[in-house]
Amino acid sequence: MFLSKKGVTSLPICPSGSAGCQVSLGNLFDRAVKLSHYIHSLSSEMFNEFDERYAQGRGFITKAINGCHTSSLTTPEDKEQAQQIHHVDLLNLVLGVLRSWNDPLLHLVSEVQSFKEAPDTILWKAMEIEEQNKRLLEGMEKIVGQVHPGEIENEVYSKWSGLPSLQMADEDSRLFAFYNLLHCLRRDSHKIDNYLKLLKCHLIHDSNC
Amino acid sequence: MDLRQLLLTLMLVWANDSFSTSEVLLERPHFIKCRSPELETFSCHWTNRDFHNLTTPGNIQLLYMRRNDEEWKDCPDYVTAGENSCYFNTSYTSIWITYCVKLINKDEVFDEKCFSVDEIVQPDPPVGLNWTLLNISLTGIHADIQVRWEPPPSADVLKGWITLEYELQYKEVNKTKWRELEPMLTTAVPLYSLKLGRDYEIRVRSRQRASEKFGEFSETLYVSLSSISPVLYVEVVSELEFPLLLVVIFGTFGVIVVMALILFSKHQRLKMLILPPVPAPKIKGIDPNLLKKGKLDEVNSILACHDSYKAQLYNDDSWVEFIELDIDDPDEKADGLDTDRLLGDNHLKSHNCLGVKDDDSGRASCCEPDIPETDFSASDICDGTSDIDRSKKISEKEEDLLCLDQNDNDESLASPDDPTAQKPNINIQSEDNQSKPSSADSIESPSPPVHTQLSNQSSVANIDFYAQVSDVTPAGSVVLSPGQTNKTRRTQCEAYTEPAIQCQPRFTMDNAYFCEADVKKCITATSHDAAEPHVQEQNFIEDVYFTTESLTTTAENPGPAAEASSTEMPVPDYTSIHIVHSPQGLVLNATALPVPDKEFVISCGYVSTDQLNKIMP
Repeated sequence: MFLSKKGVTSLPICPSGSAGCQVSLGNLFDRAVKLSHYIHSLSSEMFNEFDERYAQGRGFITKAINGCHTSSLTTPEDKEQAQQIHHVDLLNLVLGVLRSWNDPLLHLVSEVQSFKEAPDTILWKAMEIEEQNKRLLEGMEKIVGQVHPGEIENEVYSKWSGLPSLQMADEDSRLFAFYNLLHCLRRDSHKIDNYLKLLKCHLIHDSNC
Repeated sequence: MDLRQLLLTLMLVWANDSFSTSEVLLERPHFIKCRSPELETFSCHWTNRDFHNLTTPGNIQLLYMRRNDEEWKDCPDYVTAGENSCYFNTSYTSIWITYCVKLINKDEVFDEKCFSVDEIVQPDPPVGLNWTLLNISLTGIHADIQVRWEPPPSADVLKGWITLEYELQYKEVNKTKWRELEPMLTTAVPLYSLKLGRDYEIRVRSRQRASEKFGEFSETLYVSLSSISPVLYVEVVSELEFPLLLVVIFGTFGVIVVMALILFSKHQRLKMLILPPVPAPKIKGIDPNLLKKGKLDEVNSILACHDSYKAQLYNDDSWVEFIELDIDDPDEKADGLDTDRLLGDNHLKSHNCLGVKDDDSGRASCCEPDIPETDFSASDICDGTSDIDRSKKISEKEEDLLCLDQNDNDESLASPDDPTAQKPNINIQSEDNQSKPSSADSIESPSPPVHTQLSNQSSVANIDFYAQVSDVTPAGSVVLSPGQTNKTRRTQCEAYTEPAIQCQPRFTMDNAYFCEADVKKCITATSHDAAEPHVQEQNFIEDVYFTTESLTTTAENPGPAAEASSTEMPVPDYTSIHIVHSPQGLVLNATALPVPDKEFVISCGYVSTDQLNKIMP
C-alpha cells in the first residue's frame, strides 16, 4: 500500500480546562481533518490487507450488505444532504459516530491479537486507529465547545454488539465478522473525514478551499 | 506430409470448437467497471456484443438494489453515460451505502456486482495544463519549468466534498518510458533539469485521496524547449566544445613545457631570484657569522673601536646597554669575567663552554663568544674555558667588575698553557647561564696553576693593557676602557696583582672595547709573532667575539711586547675590525678610521655590511 503514515503523529491539544490556552477554530479544524484523514488511510490499508490475506475467494463482499452498527445514526448520505444539515447537528453526528467506535475499536485490538498469524501491521494499525480515534473525539468536543458552547446534547451514539461475533469459534464466521467490522470502519472513517472537510471549508474557508 | 496435414486439420477443428464455446462465454455481458467521478454520481458500464448465437437478442437490463431496499430497481438512465451503461445521478446516488447491480436479460443474470460509491471514485482528468519557464541553468543546458493544471471541473474541491491528489508523468518525446512524480495535493509542480533543445510530454491524473485507483490521464501537454534562444548558445558551445577543449589542453601543455624549459635553463638565475642569497659581509675583520646570527650588538661593539663611532655610540644608551654585566647574580658574575677571556687563555669553544646567554647585551670587548645558552655538552676544547670560568667565580660585586681586566689578565695569562686548541673567550658580559658544568670538570686541574700564573704575572704588570671597567651603567652594563687611567680602580683590587701589561700605552684612553689588533701589534715585537698569532687566530672560537689568543701571547711575552707596543700609535678609543676570521672571530685593528657616518648610529647597534664597508679600508 502506498498510503503511508504521514503527517499525523501527535497534535497536542490544549488540556481541557486550561483557560489561557485557546486554539483557534481554524487550527482545531486543521488538526481534526488531519486526524480524520489519517484514520481513514489506516482503515483503508487495514481493510485491504485483511481482504488480501483472509477474505479472498470467500465472497464476503456480497454478504457485506449487512449494515454497520452506526447505521442507526442518520447521517447525511450525499452532498446535498450534508450541505442542508446544520453544521452543529453535523458536528454532533460526527461526535456520535466517533463515540460509537470507541468500544468496537477497543475490542478489535484485543481480538486481532488472538488471530492466528495476524500480521503485525494489522495489529499495529488497529491500535493506532483506536488511539487516534480518541484524540479526534477530544478535538471534536473542543470544536463543538467553541462552535456551540453551552448546552451539551445527550450523547448520541450507537452501541455495538458485535463482540460475540468476533469471538465465534467458527473461523469463517469470525473472519466474516472481522471483515464486516473493518469494512464498516473504513466507511465510517471516510464519512467522518468528508464531513469534517466539508465543515472546515464551509466554516473556515467559506466554501473556498 | 499426410500426417502433418491431418494433425493440422484436427487442430483447426478443435480450435474452432473451443473458440465457439468460449466465444459465447466471452461475449457474455459483464460489467466493465462502475465509477463515480466526483462522489456524487456514478455510472456502470458493461460489455454487450451481439452475436448470432444468442437465441433471444433481448435487451440487457441493469438492476440495482441498495442495501436498504427490498427489491431490485431498473437503471434510471441508460443514455447519459453512453452505450451499455447506466448512469445514476445525484438523486439516485447515496454515498456510504452498498449498491448491488446486476445485468440481466429477462431472467438470465449475466453479472452481478456490489459496491459502495465511496469505493469506486475515479475522478475525471485534470484540465488546463500549462507550463512556464522558471529558469535556465548557467551552462545553458538545463532548464526548470513550472507545470500547472486545474482540478477536474466535476469534482467539488472548493467545498471540500472531495479531496484529490495528482500524479504527474513526463518524458521526452522520443522516449517511451514515463517518469512519475510522487502524488501531490497541489495543482502546480516544478520540473527540474529538463534539457534544452528537447521536447517533453507531460500528463496528469488524479484520484481521490486515500484511494487506490487513479482517474484517466489528462491531455498530454507538449513542452518544447527547443524553441528557447539559449539553446543556440548551447549548440554553439557544444560545437565549440571539442576544439575548445583541445585548445585548452594543448595550451596548458605548451605553457607547462615552456615553463619547464625556463626553469631548467635559467635554473641558477631563478634560484637567485627566488631565494636570493644572503649577502655575506664584506667587512674585513668581521666574522660573517656575526652578521648571520644577527649579533649585531657584537658587530657594533667591534665597530665601536673607531673613535667617532665610539663617541656617537657612547651617547646612545642602547649601545651602552650592549655591555651588560649581570650584577645581580654573584655566581654568574664570577663566571663572566670577561677580561680573563680577553687575555685569551680561555681556549673555549664558546658556545659549548661559557654558556653565556646570547641576549641583546653587547659585549664590552670586541671579542666575545656567541654562546647558545643551552648547549653545555662536554667538549674537550672547552677545558680551558670552563676552568677559567670557575676561576672567575671570585666575586660578583662591582669591584670585581672593575677588576675585570686584572682578573682576566690573570686568568688569561694562565690559560696559554693549555695545549689543546682552545680559544680565549673575551666575554666581559656575565651571563645568567655561565655555569659550565661539563667542561669545567675537566679543567679543574689547571686552575691552580692559572692562578699562580696570574699572580705571577700580575705582579709584573703595571701597564693596564687590557680593558677595564670604566663605568657601570645603571642597567648593569659595564663600560670597558683601556686602562692606564683606571689605576685607581685597580688599586681597589688588592687581592689581585696587576698583570703584566703589554702594549699598555695603547689603551690609555677609555676604550669601551678592547681590540685585539692593538694587542697584535704588541705581539709582533715578540719573537713568537709569526706563528702564534696565526695559530691563535685560527683558533678563534665560533662566536662573534674575537679571540684573545694574541693577547695571551702578548701576556706570555710581556717584556718585548710592551716595548713594541709602547711606541707609536695613538691608542684609539675603539678598535676596528681588521680581519674577520670566519667563523671564529675577529681581529681588531686599532687604526683610526674615518668618521663614521651618521648611519653608523643606528639603534640597537645594527651595522649593515655596506656601512662596514665604508668604514673599513
